Order: sequence, then C-alpha cells, then structure tokens
Amino acid sequence: MNFIKRGFLGITRKKGKSLILLAVIFILGNLISGAFSIQQATGNVEKNIKERLGAAATVELDQEELNALSEADWEGVEIENIGVDLIKQIGELSYVKYYDYSMSTNLGSESIESYQGEGMEDQVVMTGPSMDYRLKGINYAPVIDFEEQKGKLVDGRVFTQEEVDNGTSVAIISKKLAEKNNLQVGDTFTLTNAVYTYDDKTGEEELANSRDVVLEVIGLFEPQSIKEDQGESSDGGMFDWMDIEYQNTVYVPNEIIVSETKFNMEEYMKADAEFAAAMEGEEQTFEYYTPMFVLNNPEDSAAFEEEVTPLLPEFYTVINASDQYDSIAGPMKSMSNLSKYVLIAAVIATLLITGLVVLLFLRDRKRELGIYLSLGERRSRVVGQILIEVMVVAVIGITLSLFSGNLLAGQVSDTMMKADSNTSDEGIIYYSEIQQTNLTTEDVLDSYEVNLNSSYILGFYGIGLLTMLISTVIPLIYIVRLNPKKILM
Amino acid sequence: MILEAKDLNYYYQDGEQRRYILKDTSVSFEKGKFYTILGQSGSGKTTLLSLLSALDSPQSGTVSFNEEDIKKIGYEKYRRNNVGIIFQSYNLIPTFTAVENVLVPMSITENEIPEDTKTVAYNLLDFIGIGKSKADRFVNKLSGGEQQRVAIARALATNVELILADEPTGNLDEEMEQEIIDIFKKLAHEHEKCVIVVTHSNEIALQSDQAFHLRKGVLSSYE
Ligand SMILES: Nc1ncnc2c1ncn2[C@@H]1O[C@H](COP(=O)(O)OP(=O)(O)OP(=O)(O)O)[C@@H](O)[C@H]1O
Ligand SMILES: [Mg+2]
Repeated sequence: MNFIKRGFLGITRKKGKSLILLAVIFILGNLISGAFSIQQATGNVEKNIKERLGAAATVELDQEELNALSEADWEGVEIENIGVDLIKQIGELSYVKYYDYSMSTNLGSESIESYQGEGMEDQVVMTGPSMDYRLKGINYAPVIDFEEQKGKLVDGRVFTQEEVDNGTSVAIISKKLAEKNNLQVGDTFTLTNAVYTYDDKTGEEELANSRDVVLEVIGLFEPQSIKEDQGESSDGGMFDWMDIEYQNTVYVPNEIIVSETKFNMEEYMKADAEFAAAMEGEEQTFEYYTPMFVLNNPEDSAAFEEEVTPLLPEFYTVINASDQYDSIAGPMKSMSNLSKYVLIAAVIATLLITGLVVLLFLRDRKRELGIYLSLGERRSRVVGQILIEVMVVAVIGITLSLFSGNLLAGQVSDTMMKADSNTSDEGIIYYSEIQQTNLTTEDVLDSYEVNLNSSYILGFYGIGLLTMLISTVIPLIYIVRLNPKKILM
Repeated sequence: MILEAKDLNYYYQDGEQRRYILKDTSVSFEKGKFYTILGQSGSGKTTLLSLLSALDSPQSGTVSFNEEDIKKIGYEKYRRNNVGIIFQSYNLIPTFTAVENVLVPMSITENEIPEDTKTVAYNLLDFIGIGKSKADRFVNKLSGGEQQRVAIARALATNVELILADEPTGNLDEEMEQEIIDIFKKLAHEHEKCVIVVTHSNEIALQSDQAFHLRKGVLSSYE
C-alpha cells in the first residue's frame, strides 16, 4: 500500500471525483488543443508558403516612397543607379547563395513567330511594330531561373562564363518557341532591333533605323513552378499572360543587351535632335541592372534586409520574395493571432480552474492526508500520491482532448476561413522580377491543414501536462503546510 | 526505560502572558507496562500525548526514545518506526477496507516486517477480533468498536514497542470499552509493549499498572 498504489486507488475508489476532474481537464484541454492545432497549422502554412515563394531578394526603387513624394519634393531629386560594384558587394554577403544582375529589353522579329498560348495560334493578328521577345540578360552563367526551378533546361546547355564575359551571340529560348519556329539547338534565329521615332503632332511612329540581332540557340527551357502548381487553376487570365511572357523570354548574356540598348539610344538621338540636345552633357550610361540575390535560407530574409538597407542609395529598398506572404496571408494572420490569444487564455484558465478544483479535493481529504503524515509518511510521498492521482487523470483527459480538440480546430478554422476569405480584399501589389509567383490567398488557404503530426502531439502533451503540473503543484503547498495534530487530535 | 520526557514546557502565548499547559513535566515509561493518564478536560492530556508521539514539539524539554532524543531521530522517522498512535475518532481512511488500512503503515515503516504483509495484516486483525469477512469491508461499514480495533491493528502493524492512545474508548459503550482495555493489557503483559492510554475513566485507571494525574501543568502519580 505504498504511495503509488494509494494514488491509483485514490482514482478508482472515488470515481465521481475522478470523473469531475476528467471532465474539467477534457473541456479545458479541448480549448488548449484547438488553439494549439490552429497555431501549428498557421505556422506550417507560413513556412510552407514562404518556402514556395523562395529565398530570392532584389533591390528596387521603393514605389511607395516615390508615390508619397509631393510635386515640390520632386525638385532636385536625383535617383542614382544601382551599380555593378554595389551589386557585387551585396552578393558577397554570407546570406547570399548566388546572385545575378540583369538588363532586359524587348525586341521584335520578322523571321520568327512568337508563342501566343495553346489553341490561339491564328487568332491574334499583330499589326505595327511588335516587341514580342523579352531579352533577359544574365551574368551568372548557370542561369538563376533554372537553379531556382522557375524554368528547367530540357535540351542543350547553359552559358559558359566566357560567353557571358564576351557577350557572345548565344541564347536559351523556350521549347515552345523553338517548336513553333522549328528551331533546334545549334540553329540561329534573327531578332530585329528597330529604332522608332514618335511624332508628337501626328502621333505617328516612324522607323528611323534598325539592325538584326542574330543569336545561336544553345539550349531550350520549359517553365516549371508556375505550370506545376497551377495546372487546373480557374484563375487562368493572369497565369496565361505570365506564361506567354515567359515562353517568349530569350536568355542572353548582359553584354548583348547593353550593346543593343546603346545602338537604340544613339540612333534615336540621331533621329531626334531635340532629345539629343536635352541629353547633351549628361553622362551616358546604358547599363540599368536589376539585381537578383538568392539567399541560402528564406529565414535569412530579415537579416539580409537589415544588412543591405544601409548600403543602398536613397529611394531604394530591399524586396524579398517572401514579403509577398504578408499581402496574401491576411486571413491566416488573423487566425494565427486569434488562436494565440485563445491559447494563452486557455492556459491561464486551466491553471486557475484545475488549481482550484484540485485544492477543493485536497481540502476534502485533509483528514486522510493527515493520517499519512501521522503514520510518518514523508511529505514528498504524500505530494507524489496526489500528483499521481491528478496526472493520471490529466493524461487521460489530455489524450482525449488531443483528438477532439484537433477535430474541433478543423471545424472552427473551416468556418473562420470561409468567413474571412469573403471579406479579404486584395491590395495593390507591385509586381517585380522576383515576385512573379502567382500564389494567391486561395493557395494559402489551401495549404492550411489541421492535422495530427508528431510535433503537434508532442507540443500539446508538453503544454498540457506542464499546465496541469503547475496547477497541481500550487495547491500542494497546502499539503506541505498540513499539521496532523490539528487535524487528528 | 523505553520513553522518557524531561522538563517539558508547553504554553500558548496569550497576549503578553504565557499560559502554560505543561510546566517542567518529567515522566518515564517502561516496556511491558500499561499506563494511564487521567485529568480533567482541558488539563493538557492530549497535548502531552502529542509531544510523546512527535506530532508536536515542546517549547523546551526533551522526549527520548530508548535514551535517544526523538528530535535527533527525526519526528517523521520516529513516528513511522517507533510509535503506534490511536485516536479517539479512529482516523481510518474511509475509502480503504480494514485490511488496506492496516497495510498503509506497513508500506511506510522502515522496520523489518514479514514479506507477506497481507497475511500479517489479516492475522493482526484476527488477533484483535476482526474476522476475515469484516477485514475486507470498507471501514465506514464497521461499528465504532470494530473501527477502533482496526485502528489498534494499524498501530501494531509496524511491530512497534510503544503504543499511545488518546481516549481510545471515548466513543464506545462500556462492554466494548472493556474489550479494548483487555487488548491493551494483553499487549503490555504478554507482548512486552509499552502502552500509554489517556482516559477520563477511573475504571480504566484502576486496571493500569501505573496511573498519572495531570493537573495545572503538573503530572503526579495517581493513587
Ligand atoms: N490552539 C490553541 N490555542 C490556545 N489554547 C489552546 C489551543 N489548543 C488547545 N488549547 C488549550 O490547551 C489546553 C489543553 O488542551 P488539551 O487538548 O491538551 O486538553 P485535554 O486534556 O486533552 O482535554 P480533553 O479531555 O477535553 O480532551 C486546553 O485548555 C485548551 O483550551
Ligand atoms: Mg484530549
């Protein structure tokens, strides 16, 4: 009849008491486990979505800051360029896995046809000068877009550093574009760099000059992530448009774009004397690079931003791919917050209520506890007996509420998300190079899943049992202070 | 001399004044004897017994068990290994059966007791007059006399030599009272225990080997 056995007898011999305690723990346990389930699920969504958004970052003009400038503020504002030196300096930071900087321009072509989407081949008749092909310059030879699974090289090869450095006329195009024009790796195709002047009075454009840009196909790519995730998306408009733009993207070394931009600008100045006069004396640069940094870990975003911001010229800001999470995860955030408060409240309520219930039960058993003490039982063992009585019931109650609270959380969050997603409005989103993922609020909600995984189970047992332990230990001070003489004699 | 109290002082602070319940009380007890302590209500009998049983401590003075200060032994340890206490109100655990109540101190004590504690407990109860069928009953389904027998069995369960009882027959009728007293006599005379019983009853005092009288904080032999 040692204290352990007495503890178990205490549970079975006083079934009514044990059931009341079980009910209290079960009800409070449901609150805790429900709130904790939602916490876990929202936390997983954030991790999951941020992972899908990737660990890319760039440096851009801060549109919001510029928009906030009044007309007067604009006086004397000079916007510096982001130079290659600064890009390299940032690229050397330890957070950066690899980086690239890119110029881009749009060119047309008379000899090849652009990709216009599936089943739309003959519908669109283009008139006037077309600029269907987006040339994207690269400096990082293996091509970051491929490393980051935006696209996948399916034929041929990527650039060599030599080609990049020398600006060799080689290109990687999409497989769809190649198929449409019967191009193979090793073939060449011709784009046209046409310089138009625009007449203010007549509103007509006039061809001033043009030159051919002949490129050799060294590789073919296929778009990756967008396609996979959005296979049967109903929200197809944006997706199609983005897909078409990407299919018509031509990867080339930066040098080619620099040289074409220079040609374009010089010819334009020859044709437009007024513009040339305005530009007189200005320092001429044709290099406007957009940097792209891929971080080792999406979680480094904040630290990276903190370190880079002081290096930037005025009006520039760091944009992380994962920043987008905040704009699409509204309902998730409010749910995460709500569940956090419910969790805290539930833990406090559990501490108070079970503490009180245990104290009442102990008072009821004052005499019994006094008897053990009069028989010379160590106080620690009397405490141990009570801990066993409460904790065995607590483990049962918590185990039951582990499942039911989790189910409950699933129900509650379904209801909450339905209500929430109706009221959420999409703010203005500035699209930039790194934020071309088209994950939406829908995706965030879809990836939300309340489930019973091991980290939830361990976490909940941890929180639940610790809470119960604390709320049992506090009334146990009562036992330590019991005076058996007063009780028994 | 199994138990000895020396110069015990016990008082309650009453404002500025000390109200002494026990004043320089000294007394000693031997094995194999049945002692009674008499005194009016409020004279301090229970107080004295609580000091002898280490449920309370005096402001000054010592209680020694086999020549060793019980403070040195440790009050808790002394209670679990050296003394059996019997209360007027039985103080059994109501959710346990009679035999379970007897088993409780057996798991607490450090004294050597036979391995088969259950058999020992049943035998003890049988010796005290509680048969097997009553031994398996919850104690609140036993009469007062039966409950006090269970309490005596519990006090004996740890195989101690010293039994202290505070008005053990206070709630019982005369017939039952005599049966209990007979048990105490038997324990003292046949089993070499030292039995100290606090009582109101002259009848009981007359049957004891030595009776003390407590009055105004002073303990004297009772003739
Ligand atoms: N907590 C206390 N504060 C002050 N006085 C107390 C306290 N407890 C007991 N007393 C007093 O101590 C005295 C001795 O009490 P005790 O219980 O030892 O008497 P007793 O001889 O056992 O009486 P009874 O025969 O009625 O059981 C009594 O006068 C009582 O009023
Ligand atoms: Mg008394």
